[in-house]
Amino acid sequence: MERLQGKYILITGASQGLGRALALDFARQQAAGISMVARNAAKLEETARQVRGISPITEILTIVADLSQAQDIERVAGLTLSAFQGRLDVLVNNASILGPAPMPMLIDYPLKAFREVLETNLIAPYLLIQKILPAMMERGGSIINVTSDAGSTGYPGWGAYGISKFGLEGMSQTWAAELEGTGIRVNWVDPGNMNTPMHRAAEPDEDPSSWADPAEVTEVFIYLASEESRNVSGKRFQAQES
Amino acid sequence: MMNAPFTFELPPGLCAGEPPEQRGIPRDQIRLLVAHRDSDQVEHSRLNRLDNFLRPGDLLVFNSSRTLPASLQGCAAPAGPCMEARLAEHLPDDAWLALLLCQNGDPAGCGLQAGMKIGFGMELEAVVEGRDDFIPRLWKLRFSKSGTELIDLLYRIGRPIRYEHVSTPWNLDAYQTIFAREPGSAEMPSAARGFSWRLLFDLKRRGIERTCITLHAGLSVYSDEPDDWTHPGSEEEFLVSELAAQEIQRTRAAGGRIVAVGTTVVRALESAVDSAGDLRPGHRYTRLRIDSGHALRVVDSLITGFHEPKASHLDLLTAFLPAEKIQRVYQEAVQARYLWHEFGDLNLIL
Repeated sequence: MERLQGKYILITGASQGLGRALALDFARQQAAGISMVARNAAKLEETARQVRGISPITEILTIVADLSQAQDIERVAGLTLSAFQGRLDVLVNNASILGPAPMPMLIDYPLKAFREVLETNLIAPYLLIQKILPAMMERGGSIINVTSDAGSTGYPGWGAYGISKFGLEGMSQTWAAELEGTGIRVNWVDPGNMNTPMHRAAEPDEDPSSWADPAEVTEVFIYLASEESRNVSGKRFQAQES
Repeated sequence: MMNAPFTFELPPGLCAGEPPEQRGIPRDQIRLLVAHRDSDQVEHSRLNRLDNFLRPGDLLVFNSSRTLPASLQGCAAPAGPCMEARLAEHLPDDAWLALLLCQNGDPAGCGLQAGMKIGFGMELEAVVEGRDDFIPRLWKLRFSKSGTELIDLLYRIGRPIRYEHVSTPWNLDAYQTIFAREPGSAEMPSAARGFSWRLLFDLKRRGIERTCITLHAGLSVYSDEPDDWTHPGSEEEFLVSELAAQEIQRTRAAGGRIVAVGTTVVRALESAVDSAGDLRPGHRYTRLRIDSGHALRVVDSLITGFHEPKASHLDLLTAFLPAEKIQRVYQEAVQARYLWHEFGDLNLIL
């Protein structure tokens, strides 16, 4: 039996990078349904095409949305729960934005951009969790928030992005504490250095060849999405050996 | 024609025009007027003290239907009248029933007719197929899109249905309960709106459990007095899961009370019970009308909002209490200045 059989999953930021890799590997584990969210319709459709090629039995929903907009978050929740008849087992809050590139120092950071980063990287996951929790109340579920090394260590120049990930880790701990005993588990994963468009934009002077391919870091996400982790909550995971 | 079981004067100041949070009150601290079925006692409390009135082993049953942005603005093609379409029900044949309200003058007087094509923007159109057989104020519409594609467009161009007593066009979030799952309700299942997670956790610690059913609520008001008086049994889609049915049966077998949170829950559960009194899980449609002649077979108690004078929901209350007694409860609610409507206070009939 595949590890995600029968599971209905929502992944944000699914058009490229880690989000796409997760969608593909979740399909390989025969997830019952995957709802994929991103801003870029063409790239999202490409992810959907690849998922269909892997698992024809997986129900696929693509939603073009800007998660910095609160009304889009309600639309994402409503559409997903409509397509999956009110069921959702796994939420992966993966979407995030870097902010201006090259990344300004905090003292130079434009307030508007700072707010935009927090809206997408911190407030959107908070709201999305709020909105999908009712679907997990009876049967339990797994919420996986994607963090970063910059969410536990302050690095110069990582500005709003790092702060948003610090916030995401704190928020994940609080959700996990509040949901203890409900069957809804909350964990967060630092995928480590990955060769993704976002990381290349963040560190344009670095050589990405030593960074992992996103497809190499999905195992911990499959574990957290599956019943194998049903008693695991409130923990930080690192997808790669440090 | 059926008559409302009683009527009363509702002072305009008692219509809640905004969510409690906007009035500076946490959602779970709205007022709760408690009426007892076995005595004339009436008590005044707040929702977050609900545990004072329930017992360990009781089961609260909520409606998990999510509110749709069911109000659309459209104009008949090519240059016909413009109107508001309030979606009421999604029919098994994938058509929708809707109330069409002309924008200028008489809300029904702009030449609405079968065959009319209405454009709503973003390439969404609907053909008017004719009037509903049961509720003639409703029209049957067939949209140019269906499934999640249609729901997506409703989210993009629709707004929550807003009645005159609501002061501001609040966004859709204001019309969702903490139980909201699959979208399908034209109007919020509002009795559950006051519940917070904190309150649920407190109740659970005291042995008061919860479960959910789904009934996609239609319209409560057709803006047409004769229809609103008679309110013939509109058809509504509902789902009682295997899990919910088991929890309800287990609670009843153990002597616990089934407390329906909202009239929609009463309707779903009483529709799902068979002649032997067993609750049958499943996904069905109901036209059940509940009034004083209906012997409740599943539900023991009800938490509901305060209903308008002459509203059909008052009929449903008479299945729990005699009309004279409800009238006295409502008189007391008016005197004590409880708030009416979807953002208002609650009434527990125990």
